[in-house]
Amino acid sequence: MAIALCAVGCSRNTTHSDQTKLEPAQVKVALVPGGPHPYFQPWKDALQKAKADFKLGDVTFNETSAWNQTTQNSVLKSLAAQGFNAFGVFGVSPDTINSTFGDLHKQGFHLASLGSCPAGDTDNADFCLATDVRQAAYKAAKSAIAAMGGSGNLVHLTGNKTDSNTTRRIQGVQQAIDETGGKVTLLQTVTDIDTDLQTAQKAVADLIAAKGAQINGIVTTAYNPAVASAAAVKAAGLPVKVVAIDDDPTILGDIKDGSVTASVVQNPVGQAYVGSYALSKLAGGCTMKTSGQTVDSGSFVVAKDNADTYDTQRQQQTAQLRKDFDDKYLSCS
Amino acid sequence: MRIPFWANPRLGLLVVIVVLVAVFTALRPAFLDVGLTIVPMQSDLTVFVVVGLAQLAVLSLGHMNLAVGRMAAVSAFAAGWAYDKLDVPLPVGLVIGLAVGALVGAAAGWTIAATGVNSFVVTLALDFALIGLVSLLYSTFSDGVAFHVAPAGLDILRGDTFADYCMGDLCGPPIPLVVPIALVAVVAVGVFFRNSRLGREILMTGSNVKAAELSGIPTGRRIIQAHALSGLLAALAGFLLAVNNGAFSADIGGSFLLPSFLGPVLGGTLLAGGAVSVLGTVFGAALTEVIQTGLNLLQFEVEKFKIYIGFVLLVALSLDRLRHVLAERRSAAPAERGGTA
Repeated sequence: MAIALCAVGCSRNTTHSDQTKLEPAQVKVALVPGGPHPYFQPWKDALQKAKADFKLGDVTFNETSAWNQTTQNSVLKSLAAQGFNAFGVFGVSPDTINSTFGDLHKQGFHLASLGSCPAGDTDNADFCLATDVRQAAYKAAKSAIAAMGGSGNLVHLTGNKTDSNTTRRIQGVQQAIDETGGKVTLLQTVTDIDTDLQTAQKAVADLIAAKGAQINGIVTTAYNPAVASAAAVKAAGLPVKVVAIDDDPTILGDIKDGSVTASVVQNPVGQAYVGSYALSKLAGGCTMKTSGQTVDSGSFVVAKDNADTYDTQRQQQTAQLRKDFDDKYLSCS
Repeated sequence: MRIPFWANPRLGLLVVIVVLVAVFTALRPAFLDVGLTIVPMQSDLTVFVVVGLAQLAVLSLGHMNLAVGRMAAVSAFAAGWAYDKLDVPLPVGLVIGLAVGALVGAAAGWTIAATGVNSFVVTLALDFALIGLVSLLYSTFSDGVAFHVAPAGLDILRGDTFADYCMGDLCGPPIPLVVPIALVAVVAVGVFFRNSRLGREILMTGSNVKAAELSGIPTGRRIIQAHALSGLLAALAGFLLAVNNGAFSADIGGSFLLPSFLGPVLGGTLLAGGAVSVLGTVFGAALTEVIQTGLNLLQFEVEKFKIYIGFVLLVALSLDRLRHVLAERRSAAPAERGGTA
């Protein structure tokens, strides 16, 4: 049909939606994680708090994408069809989510990449509010190396190899190892074990059975391997220093009893709360001073000495993030 | 025995699809939103129809292709590499991807024909090998796990519909530009199995390999050709997904396996081989897509979503089977009574 039309002379019709200024009550925010994962659970409460604090029209949390980019695209379009007009998205595939953001942007929706930024140098969302995963992995590896006494064999347990975030984490760990000038060796990087706890437990058990005696430290940059390695090292009674990620109660307990050295904790609450705030501002007519700006939501090394107090630090970081959006990142006339 | 027209499985599926569309529309009028529902559904459907055809190509033999997703991934890598490193035009990259898919498929077919090992085992092993290969290829040849190149025309193919092209006030329908590519595949595979000698011989091989051999059909070669066709169609599905998603990445094909079986099997293709239904595959894939979109619109929680998608599929299949059994009984009844009715 297009060929037939164009054969006799056609024009390409390129229409862009006009972005209108919305009152907070007209703003409907949808937060869409990549799929079900404990990391996203704090988003639910933070979203409800944002709804009440910023008097948003409606909010929803939808994790049905189940780690499939095609499904996530359908979920986002379905939510848009139902009237949601601002989206905070953890893209399943950092390599392709930018195209989805571009599509939704063209249709006049406001978008934040939350928890994970698209791969590459550009972000078609209005902004990205996420942990700098390379930096967090670097911090975690530095902690593990320090706990090992600055030398020995380190193992890195992480997520999906085909996720560009995993590539960044591997780079962060490698940077910390390189800085030791050869005193620390990366014994192995184990990928694709963050799908569920059972997979992670099996991988860790295999690793300890095969190389337990050689391992001086384990750094985990994904949730399930962190929980699995903490439990396995404790059960085996090995003198292995474990640095975990996030603040699962099990991990916090292990930090307190000394079986886990430290954990690099992220700020999912801040991502959801401040992300919703910034989206409501953008819908209200503000613009980002730099479109696609990346903002680090913060990561904190939690050890025995600050296991009870780190959340205060995280709340301060969240308050600071909101202030930074007002003062530095948003332009509101 | 002739089955009445109302027991035709394709018609049954069409009725179920129409009923579900009506139900979902009644519950959520946004189901008929052109830009946000209808157009994306068609784009997704092109991928699932073609991946269904890729599985159908080997189901015709009574075989399976468990490596359908990884064949798509390897082919998408080849196309992405060609765009990124060789700077080839859009159609040339597509041809390279299709050729790689066909070659990998032919290699699987050759292994099955030469060794006599079950296709299930061969393609499962191939799938494992290709998972590793794809990761290795991307880490060697790209900076990350994807090629972010956009050859001329890719963005247009991805984002435009025929409605974007107008002559005066006359614009095309809201059908994405990728749809004709899938349509060509549907028609070509349909004609191949219905009208070509090669296609008929593949079906005969699937129906009874000994009888086919005794009839002078080179069954080994037909097995290789059917698997090559499967690889080629998997490659096309991978290309369409890469176009829809906007990048040639390592995770392409990761979720192809289940839809590849759902389309043909819902559509009436026999797992035992010897009979295929191309139109049924289109309807089977469409049914799955309608259910998925409808449940998305109803915003089910993730666990309930999976339960309901399984439940609706089961009900759809059971109703279809019930209708078929009733039709068989009705046709058989007159014969038992001596054909007097």
